[in-house]
Amino acid sequence: MSPEIQERSDTGQIPVAERPATTPAPRPQTWVLKVIMAVTGSVFVMFVLFHLAGNLKVYLPDDPQGHFNEYAHWLRSLLNPLLPGSTFLWAFRATLILCLCLHVYSGFTLWLRAHRLRGRHARKVHATKHHLTGRTMLWSGLIILAFIVFHLLDLTVGRVVASKEFTSTDPYSNLIHSFERPQVAVFYVAVMVVIAFHLSHGIWSIVNDFGATSHRVRSVFLFLADLIALVVVIGNASIPIAVLMGGITL
Amino acid sequence: MRLILEVWRQDGPDAHGSFETHEITDATPEMSLLELLDRLNHQLVDNDQEPVAFESDCREGICGTCGLDVNGVPHGPEDNVPACGQHVRSFRDGQTVRFTPFRAKAFPVVRDLIVDRTGLDRIIQAGGTISVDAGTAPDADTLLVTHDDAERALDFAACIGCGACVSACPNGAAYLFTGAKLSHLALIPHGKEERAKRARTMITQMQHEFGPCSQIGECALACPAEIPLVAIAAVNRERLRAGFKKGKAN
Repeated sequence: MSPEIQERSDTGQIPVAERPATTPAPRPQTWVLKVIMAVTGSVFVMFVLFHLAGNLKVYLPDDPQGHFNEYAHWLRSLLNPLLPGSTFLWAFRATLILCLCLHVYSGFTLWLRAHRLRGRHARKVHATKHHLTGRTMLWSGLIILAFIVFHLLDLTVGRVVASKEFTSTDPYSNLIHSFERPQVAVFYVAVMVVIAFHLSHGIWSIVNDFGATSHRVRSVFLFLADLIALVVVIGNASIPIAVLMGGITL
Repeated sequence: MRLILEVWRQDGPDAHGSFETHEITDATPEMSLLELLDRLNHQLVDNDQEPVAFESDCREGICGTCGLDVNGVPHGPEDNVPACGQHVRSFRDGQTVRFTPFRAKAFPVVRDLIVDRTGLDRIIQAGGTISVDAGTAPDADTLLVTHDDAERALDFAACIGCGACVSACPNGAAYLFTGAKLSHLALIPHGKEERAKRARTMITQMQHEFGPCSQIGECALACPAEIPLVAIAAVNRERLRAGFKKGKAN
């Protein structure tokens, strides 16, 4: 029992429950974890959209290589000369890593709680979209987590899974060389579908976890959730497909 | 109509339960599911067997006493209808119908199809009440409630506390129930006096026994009072609001 409720019971304002709560109060509280999920999730939604904008530079008609590499360089030297070197980049990375840790910790804790408190019973459920995406959030999340590691090794660090031609000075050619490997391209496309599932349910959850009860806000975000998911999957997954089909070349 | 009934039999909270199969040969399409169980009990008593224990009271959908899973779905195959309002006509002649108690960690079986739903009572005890000195009846027009607020409060007050939302939820969450109570009381003048305190205590108590919400929406499809899914967002809205009202009751 929480101190708050204990206190009220002791003063006799409400009768003490006949069978008081048998489980200890969960810490951190469930609603706090949900808000953490929503805040960090919002950061990732924003990140994914900006990341998409950068990726789409490969489709610029003249000199996509120049534009893409210029953008990549700009990211590394952002806020120069106010901040020296890659200070901003590292602060940005640190924020993302912190958000990722909080998101994974909260998500996993909530999943464990849900698993424990539903009891050992099978549920017969309606075949709704939210059912498909909502109940697979942990699994889509784990796939995305594995993908983040793969993606960083492939195109940022250039180790283990990266293409033989990896160079730290030409991100555009790294991208082309990586996606010219069919199995890697297929993997990227598949993961984008998983990310779309995660985004679609995640954005709808953010709206609920921030407590939006207005009919208009809920309708708009229910639509936006699917729209953003669709834009992300089409925008990103088209790049490896275009590389494989020879639409984007060095 | 001939129906095969598979009914969960369990002598007590700690006893080992199992399904018992019975055949009803004279069921009629207009029978309610509770009348079907009545019919079964007559048959059992005639054969000197122990009747099935199940709960019911008003049998017109306003009390929330009847509550059982039918073929794994709370209350029965029709959405948003209590067990007393569901009819045998939903089934085919010769179909097997499986009756189980409501399923959630927070709802331990008392006997056969009866579960202990006092977990919901404890949420109400924690703060789902109004403790203000209302005095004598006020003069007309001294306490104004807009028509919209009154209607919305009544929509949320429609919750009959049957617990179907918890049984429907793959996480064993009571968000729809708690959100309905919080929304209802936050909309009316007397309830507003303890709005923040109520959110803190009810949500704390809810977290003791019930799981986290994943916005899947099963609860709103099962709810016989048709509480809308927006009640779920109200839980976090009220708790976040209470967070900004540190130490204050309203």
